[in-house]
This record gives sequence, structure tokens and C-alpha cells, in this order.
Amino acid sequence: MKVLIAEDSDSDRLILATLVRRLGHQVVEVSDGIEAVARFSEFQPDIVLLDALMPRMDGMEAARQIKALAGERLVPLIFLTSLSDAGELARCLEAGGDDFLVKPYNRVILEAKINAFNRMRSMHHALSEQRDQIRRQNEQLLSEQKVARRVFDNVAHTGCLDAPNIRYHASPLSVFNGDVLFAAQRPGGGIVIFLGDFTGHGLPAAIGAMPVAEVFYGMAEKGFGAADILREINRKLCRILPTGMFCCGVMVEADGKQNALRAWNGGLPDGWLVRKNGERVAIPSRHLPLGVLAPDRFTASMDVLDALPGDRLVVMTDGFPESCDDQGRCFGEEGVRRVLAGLKAEEHPFDALTMHLRQFTGRPEPADDLTLCSLEVIAGSVQAESFEKSPESSLSGPGEWHCVYEIRERTLADFNPLPLLLHICMEVPGLRRRSGEIYTLLSELYNNALEHGVLELSSEWKSSAKGFSLYYQERKRRLTEIDGHYIRFSLSHESRPGAGRLRIRCEDSGRGFDIDVQGARSPAKTGPGNGYAGRGLEILKRMTKELTVHGPGNCVEIVYDWTFPDNALGAHDGSDSKREDK
Amino acid sequence: MNDKPHLDEEALAELQDVMEDEFDVLIQTYLEDSRTRIQSLRDALADADSDQFSKAAHSFKGSCVNIGAPRLGELCFDAEKLGKNDQLDQAPGVMTRIEKEFEDVAWRLQHFNQ
Amino acid sequence: MPIDTRRSDDGHTLTIRVQGRFDFSTHQAFRDAYEHSDPSVKNYVIDLSDTTYLDSSALGMLLLLRDHAGGDSASVVIENCNGDVRRILSISNFEQLFSIR
Repeated sequence: MKVLIAEDSDSDRLILATLVRRLGHQVVEVSDGIEAVARFSEFQPDIVLLDALMPRMDGMEAARQIKALAGERLVPLIFLTSLSDAGELARCLEAGGDDFLVKPYNRVILEAKINAFNRMRSMHHALSEQRDQIRRQNEQLLSEQKVARRVFDNVAHTGCLDAPNIRYHASPLSVFNGDVLFAAQRPGGGIVIFLGDFTGHGLPAAIGAMPVAEVFYGMAEKGFGAADILREINRKLCRILPTGMFCCGVMVEADGKQNALRAWNGGLPDGWLVRKNGERVAIPSRHLPLGVLAPDRFTASMDVLDALPGDRLVVMTDGFPESCDDQGRCFGEEGVRRVLAGLKAEEHPFDALTMHLRQFTGRPEPADDLTLCSLEVIAGSVQAESFEKSPESSLSGPGEWHCVYEIRERTLADFNPLPLLLHICMEVPGLRRRSGEIYTLLSELYNNALEHGVLELSSEWKSSAKGFSLYYQERKRRLTEIDGHYIRFSLSHESRPGAGRLRIRCEDSGRGFDIDVQGARSPAKTGPGNGYAGRGLEILKRMTKELTVHGPGNCVEIVYDWTFPDNALGAHDGSDSKREDK
Repeated sequence: MNDKPHLDEEALAELQDVMEDEFDVLIQTYLEDSRTRIQSLRDALADADSDQFSKAAHSFKGSCVNIGAPRLGELCFDAEKLGKNDQLDQAPGVMTRIEKEFEDVAWRLQHFNQ
Repeated sequence: MPIDTRRSDDGHTLTIRVQGRFDFSTHQAFRDAYEHSDPSVKNYVIDLSDTTYLDSSALGMLLLLRDHAGGDSASVVIENCNGDVRRILSISNFEQLFSIR
């Protein structure tokens, strides 16, 4: 250790310096306060021994200056004094002294004091290091969280949370309190909202939220329904989350056309539908949270609630009812019920809930760990209109292409080519919102080619329940004998601005069939007991612009036109059949 | 009024042990230092500066107890108190005793260990 | 299983709920859902809330259920279908055979 000794008495200084050196320390000696301050900066001593009474600058003043120079560094300062009155000793400590050493010097006491201060000094040093490290790590963590938040925002962009019929409160760093809120317009109208609350906070919750966001927006954009999205989120979370971590959530789907809302609640507080007439319907949790049940045990069955334009739905994470007042009492789900029961006419439940919570907690802003979201049911056309403003453009994506995909032999029995073919078609933005129809076209063509073309199964079998089962037993059996067979899809797409045409030709290796026998019949014209099958081609015919059967019936070609903006947005509702019947 | 010994032999033996070869240097240093201190006391007394008198006595006291001259240290303490109480009229007597005791101590130190 | 059934309190109504894809792969489960039901069941409700897709073979299965339930005098309601499912039912003019809501 380095010890600075400041003492004006030559003999005292000599004694002390010798004692300290003999203890194994390095010593610098000075004889007054000014010199002590001057040498302090240069010598950087670990301990300073300072006589209280010195010429030029006394020990008190030197102590103050040395302490100021040392800053955060702990430099123990021991005053040297001959026993005097207590007030004088106290003044030494007030001036920044840490202890004093009384003359005559005692070797044993001097050594004990130097050692004690050395321990204190190294402890202080270790603590400072640790504190600095924690501070650096905390700064790094905060900046990483900011970056993570930006990445998260890119993945989990706000979707359509800014739609005029959605209102929400979420903390700006909500991803790190475990809450997530997503909303997406569905192709063809309608809206899906997911509110989730991950167990735990911080990074694990944020990491879990990323795939949920991807699944949600990816699937919603492709037109999947809420139940499919829930199943996929559950599957994914089951796979990636450790046991004991899961995500409570509410999924809500509003179609806007069917005057219905579908809701699924797994582990969040009751959601509420507040009808325009004041009626309230609870949406209680009926399911386990996401990420708990294995996919085969998970149920995505949704509550269907009648809802008309003007009805409002509110959902919340448990931070809302768990908000406390200054005496630690919780707002409670009972509080939510009371507020909704006391709604005035035209009062928005979102406003009422936030206002009452503010009054209850006495804080101007809701706490950071709660999310509240409301959705107002609006007429289908309005929702569709806001969808048209979405950045999706019919010009991006592939417009002119052709592909042939042929599956052969055993693969016919083992492999379902439809998801792949659908995926190819879904690259065309204009087709994306029609994924349901495209899937139907592909599936009916494929089943027709496989069952009637390749396997030569007769629809007539399906005219009784027993025959139906036989048909599928036979289908299974014949799939084992398909050597030399194939089914070939040729897809081509061409586009004009805002419109496009998809041609699908499906050819099989079968002998063909008489189209008049197998072909289109409307069940309306045939009585029950007669029309159990043969609807596949009928559906194809009515969904497409053209349907042509080539050759001996083993090649069916369809032409499907689309336009964008979708002038046939009504195509998904009941009015469609009228249009088709014209 | 002051029954402390002229020299604390035990303390001096310890100092000898600590200082080893430098013990003689220490003694010479002390003696020179003390002469300077006695001169400062005389100057302060002549100037009737009780504060300076008290401080000089205090410093002298420290080096006396450290070197093992307790009786001289005690006399310095008396002088320090007089200075603090602004009673310099009584100081010349103490001053005389300090000078006399210093001569005694100096003689004893120079002959210590011989 | 992708198919659940539920009896109403009075025992007269059987609700069959189909999850996911309603196509040939569900035919056995669908048939089991009603074939061995109590004779006191008079009304059938096919709840398609969770049905994402329905193909032409499912239409055949629905017709077989209708037969089982008494043909022209059957009381079969199909409810909560999504847009795509609704469209397939409309194209096939199933409104004339079933009460769809």
C-alpha cells in the first residue's frame, strides 16, 4: 500500500514513517498541508496520515481538499494528534477524517488501523466495481430492450390497431411486461384481435411474443380464421415455451356481415360484449392458456355471440382488475362489472373503464402492466373499405407464371399436394383473399381426378350411409394399387392491372368417365336419396368462369378470374347464390 | 505538580528497536526540532500571541510524548492550556521549567544507552 | 376428436360440432355422432363455428344425416358457418334442404 504522511514535527514524522515502512508499505512524507494536497494527486496514496496542526495549511483544510480530489475513490484519512479535548477530535472527523491516531504512537494500534482501513478500502473497491458493472449491464440491457422493441415492432407491427373502431391502452414497453395486442383485417372483410398475457416479464415474455406475432399476422393475412390461428399459436408455444410458461389470451373475430362475433378466452379476465341496447354478455375464460395443452388436446372452439353494428366489446389483461388503490385494495372483476352496469347511454365502455380506474387508483395514468382494448362492431362494408386502404397492391407479387406439378404412383397415396399448390397461388396478392375458394377449386379437382379418374370409384356408392363407408374403405384399398398412375396439375396465371386469370388444368392417368353420368347435377333438382354425390364438378362449374372437360373425361380445366379491388366482396355471403343464379 | 518521569525508558527501548540504526538520527532530529519549538514559544511569548503560544506548545507536546519524554510533554500541556486560556502572564514560569526540563531531557537522551 | 356432440337438456336436440376441415377424413366420426343417438332426438344442429373448410364429400354426409333425421320432414339446422363454408353451401343450393343460420 502507498501511505502519505503529513506531519510537521520532524521527529514524529521520522518515527511514523519508519513504523509504516516496517509494516511493508511505501511511504511519501511531507511536512505541511499544502505539500500534502500537492503530492496526493501525483502519489495516489491508499491511506493518508495527517497531522491536525501544521503550518501553512492545517490538517482540517488539507483533509477537505484531499477528499474532494479523491472523488468516488475511498481514501481513508487518519488524523495524527496528541490527546486533546473531544471537540477537537470531533472536528477532525467532520473535516473528512475517518479515524485518528493518538500520540505517542503505538505500533500495534497503528498496524491494526492500517489493516482495517485496507480491508474497508478493498471492499469499497469491489463494491464500486460491481456497482459500475451493474450500471453498465443495466444500460446495455435498456439499450438492448430498445433495439428489441424496434425489432418486435417490425414483426408485430401495429396491424390495424389504428382502425377507427378499435381503442386500446397498452404500455409503450408492453412487450416487456408480457402483454401483446395484435389486430388484423381479414381478406374479404372482418377483423381479428388477439390480446395475450405471457407468464413472466422481460426477455422471456418478449421472445415468446415474437412467434405469436408472426403466426397471427401471417395467418390472418392469408385469410385463416381465428380458430386456425389459435391452434397454430398453441402448437408453436407448446413447442418453444418451457413448462410453466404460457400465454393467457383472448381471440376475437368480427365478421361484420354475419352479425356475429366469435370469441375464445383462455385464462384472461372476463371480456364483455356491451350491446347498443345496454345488454351485457360476459366472455369468460373457458379454456386453458395457450402453450399448455398438446395440439391434439387443444380446443379452439369459439363462443359465438350475436352482435350488431354499434355493439362494443372490451377485453383486458389481468393487470386491469388487479390495479390497486393506495391502500392495496384491488379494482377487481367486480369493479369492471359495476362500471359496465352503470354505463350511461352512449357512454363508451372503454372511456368509462379507464375513467373509473383512474379515480380508483388516484393516478392519472393506468399502470404499466395492463392492457385494455375495445372493438366496436361496424357494418361489413365499412370494414371492407378500410381494408382497401391497406398497402397491399395487386401490382406486387408474381403476375405471369406457369407451373406443372405431377405426382405419381405411391405418392398419390401418401402425400397431399393441395397445401403446396395453394401456397403457389397465394403468392399472387389478388388471390390471397380468396384462399378459401382456391382451396376448394384445387381440392375438388384433385379428389375428382383421384377418386373417379385414378381409382375409378363410383359416386353411386355414396347413396347410403353404409355405401359411404364402403366407398372410403375401397378408396383406401385401391390406393395401394396405383402403379403407373399420375395426377398432373398445370397452373398458369396472367394479370392485367387490378385483375387476373388463373387457369388450372388437372389431368389424370385414368380411363376417363362419362361426364354426363358423373357430371353436374343440382341437389335441388334431385330428391334426397339420389343426390349424395356428384357435387364436386357442380361446385367447380359455379365458382369458375369456364369449366371444360377434355378427352375421355380425364382432364378437367377451369378458368378463374379475379379483380382488385374485389368488386365481388360480397362473394362470401349469402347474396352470392343470387348472383350466381342470374 | 508533575510526577511524570523525565524519560519513559520502556518507550525509548521500543523506539530503539523500531529505528535500529536511525535511533541516533531520531534523537538528533528531536533535539534540533525541540530547540526550534522552544524558540517559537519564546517568540510567541514576546509577541504576547497566546494562540501561537498554545499551538507551538501543542506540537511540542506531541513530539515529546512520542520520543518518550513525558514530564516535558506534561509541561508543554500546561503551557498549551495557559495559551488557550489567554493566561500568558503565568507563562514565563512554565517557560522556565520547560527550558530546564529540556536541558535535562537532552542530557539524558544523549547519554541514553551509553 | 374433431367432432363433439352435445344433447340439449330436454334431450330432443343433438348438436354436432365439427372442428377444422370437414371432408372425407371425418366421415366415420360424423356418422358415429348421430347414428347411435337416442331415438328421442328430434332436431339436429350442425355447428360449424370451428369448421374452416367443407368439401363436396361433406355435402354428401350432410345429406345422409338429413335422410337419417327423416328426409323431407327432418329438422336439421346448420349454423355459424364462415364465409367460405357458407359459399359452398349456397352454391350447392343447400338452403333448400337445410335451415342455415
